[in-house]
Amino acid sequence: MSDYKALIEAVIKGDIKTAVAETQSVLDAGSNARDILDKGLIAGMDEVGERFSKGQMFVPQMLRSAKTMKECMKLLEPFFQEGDITSKGKVLIGTVKGDLHDIGKNLVSMMMEGAGFTITDLGVDVSPESFVQKAKEVEPDIVAMSALLSTTMPSMPRTIEALQRAGIRDKVKVMIGGAPVTEKYAQEIKADSYASDAGSAVSKAKNLLGVS
Amino acid sequence: METSLPFYQPLTPDKAKQIDRTGRWILERVGIRVYSNTFLDKLKKAGAQVDYENERVRFDGDWLDEVLRRAPSRFILYSRDGRNDLHLGEDNAYIGNGGRVFRILDMATGGYRLTMLRDVAHTATLVDHLDNIRFYVIACQAHDIKPVNYHLLDFYYAFNHTTKHVMGGCDDLHGVQQMWNLATIIAGGEDKLREKPFVSVITNTISPLTIDANTLDILNFCTAHGIPVSCAPVPIAGATAPATLAGTLSQMHAESLAAVAITQVLAPGAKVLYSAIPTTMDLRTMELTMGSVETGMMNAAAVQLAKLYNLPIYTSGGVTEAKRPDIQAGFEKGVSNLAVVTTGADCIRLTAGMLDSGNSISYEQFVIDNEIIGMLYRIREGIKVNEDTLGFDVIKSVGPGGNYVTEDHTVDHMMDEFFYPNLSVRCNFDVWEERGRPDMLSRANDLVQKILEEGREGLLDHDLISEIKKAFPGSRYI
Repeated sequence: MSDYKALIEAVIKGDIKTAVAETQSVLDAGSNARDILDKGLIAGMDEVGERFSKGQMFVPQMLRSAKTMKECMKLLEPFFQEGDITSKGKVLIGTVKGDLHDIGKNLVSMMMEGAGFTITDLGVDVSPESFVQKAKEVEPDIVAMSALLSTTMPSMPRTIEALQRAGIRDKVKVMIGGAPVTEKYAQEIKADSYASDAGSAVSKAKNLLGVS
Repeated sequence: METSLPFYQPLTPDKAKQIDRTGRWILERVGIRVYSNTFLDKLKKAGAQVDYENERVRFDGDWLDEVLRRAPSRFILYSRDGRNDLHLGEDNAYIGNGGRVFRILDMATGGYRLTMLRDVAHTATLVDHLDNIRFYVIACQAHDIKPVNYHLLDFYYAFNHTTKHVMGGCDDLHGVQQMWNLATIIAGGEDKLREKPFVSVITNTISPLTIDANTLDILNFCTAHGIPVSCAPVPIAGATAPATLAGTLSQMHAESLAAVAITQVLAPGAKVLYSAIPTTMDLRTMELTMGSVETGMMNAAAVQLAKLYNLPIYTSGGVTEAKRPDIQAGFEKGVSNLAVVTTGADCIRLTAGMLDSGNSISYEQFVIDNEIIGMLYRIREGIKVNEDTLGFDVIKSVGPGGNYVTEDHTVDHMMDEFFYPNLSVRCNFDVWEERGRPDMLSRANDLVQKILEEGREGLLDHDLISEIKKAFPGSRYI
């Protein structure tokens, strides 16, 4: 059995170069890809999660560890059948029409990607039509919308209506967030979930999809 | 501590010189009253001008300079475990609590009561745990113990609950001897205590312009035994000093310099701090107001005056008139702390735990002040400017529209560029609501409970305690 200590350490540190080199070296030494994934990369990320929840690691470190894992996965992917490794879920995200603010939305994207979701980011000023069109194309599990202005918030229910008209509302979960947005508003417009910040967006998304 | 901070000078250099000159005139022409023939003799023998009839000592300028030059410009106040040694005279700021109050705001009852020996233990435990409070001043009077073993007990409880440097006042020669005997046992011998003194003694002059025999006895004993001392004037503008700030500073400066000079006559090279706690009075009511904005300004100016003589300086900041940890406490502390910490003082006391113009303490205020002091150290560190921190390379590599969150540069600097508070509210509004809208006082109280419950009880080891018991038989508190 191979020793994954160095790989685990590199994942925890978010040291992409070392982690990729380690992954290659254990592969070359004949380790099984599933073994590397489970006992190396995932073991490292579990420790990262643990440390993060205790406040011993900060968000940038956690995201770098996630990025490190992703880079290592590129080496392992050829060894897996399609469907062997699944993402936590596909998320289509954007700031709604009329709104050009993207800091919060970007933080949410980053955190979700770090947590293992596959993100398609439509950027800012995204019309209901664009959301619908892209949703048809990528078939996301979640459509996530952000707004910073009370004046652009009505774009959220309009987008939900557009999803409905296109017949895909029941195929996706809708999440909303942004400074003026509230839980109550989410209920009013019949969104499926509301998150108050980037960290809770991840846990809400996991809840919606029933993944951990 | 590396700092980019150009130290704040509340006085222009020529105004500081004018105050210094006035202070020196006071010493030359008015002099200091010394209530002790023994010490008048010593001072006369050392070359001071002594007027026995009026118990007055005058300090000729050249003689004063010569004596002051003997005082060390840097020395170390040691901690017992070596983790919190205070390197004075090296542009470090060390911030601590203040001492010997008589009342405490007791959150358990919500009311005020007299302080007891257990409060010495608890405040020492708090300071031991709170990283930003770098030394412990015996915080309060113990109303439940008799005078006979008073300083044996208050110092014993301090030593037994913190390994940080302990400072305390002593009532008389008997008290300071008791403390020294105890400290000698803990140090493992007189030489070891002298080599690394982990305790120092606080004394005061009596404004205006008086030093009493008791204080001189204590200074004499400490300097002879290598115990660092401070002897701070506490002039009150408008009452025991002129109503003008410049006048109060001039008189304070004379008193501070006289105290330093006297220690250097008693024991050349003795470890002494230029100490000063200039204060004011609210002349509408004759209330002492240690929390006034002018108190902050004058304590800042005192630092500048000490620096003229290249002496380590012990000043005060962060005092409030407020009776509770409230809004007034926050802003009065903030304003005075900011004035004092940016001047380059070595030691700043009274900053943690105090309320009520220095008459009361509150455990909760200790943990709140610990957080404020963390911000003060951050200010002292200043803004680090070098090729790496300027960040041109990372800005170039991220480019327009990107983000910096996962860059190496971010991870490399996120720990040392920012102060991360423990108590202050930083969560978003929803989270704050979910947590039941906690306020500062409730969070501070939670932290106090946690520290006192987890507090290391009895830091001195059992053999040492047996030895102390043997040396001081009959004290039921040890």
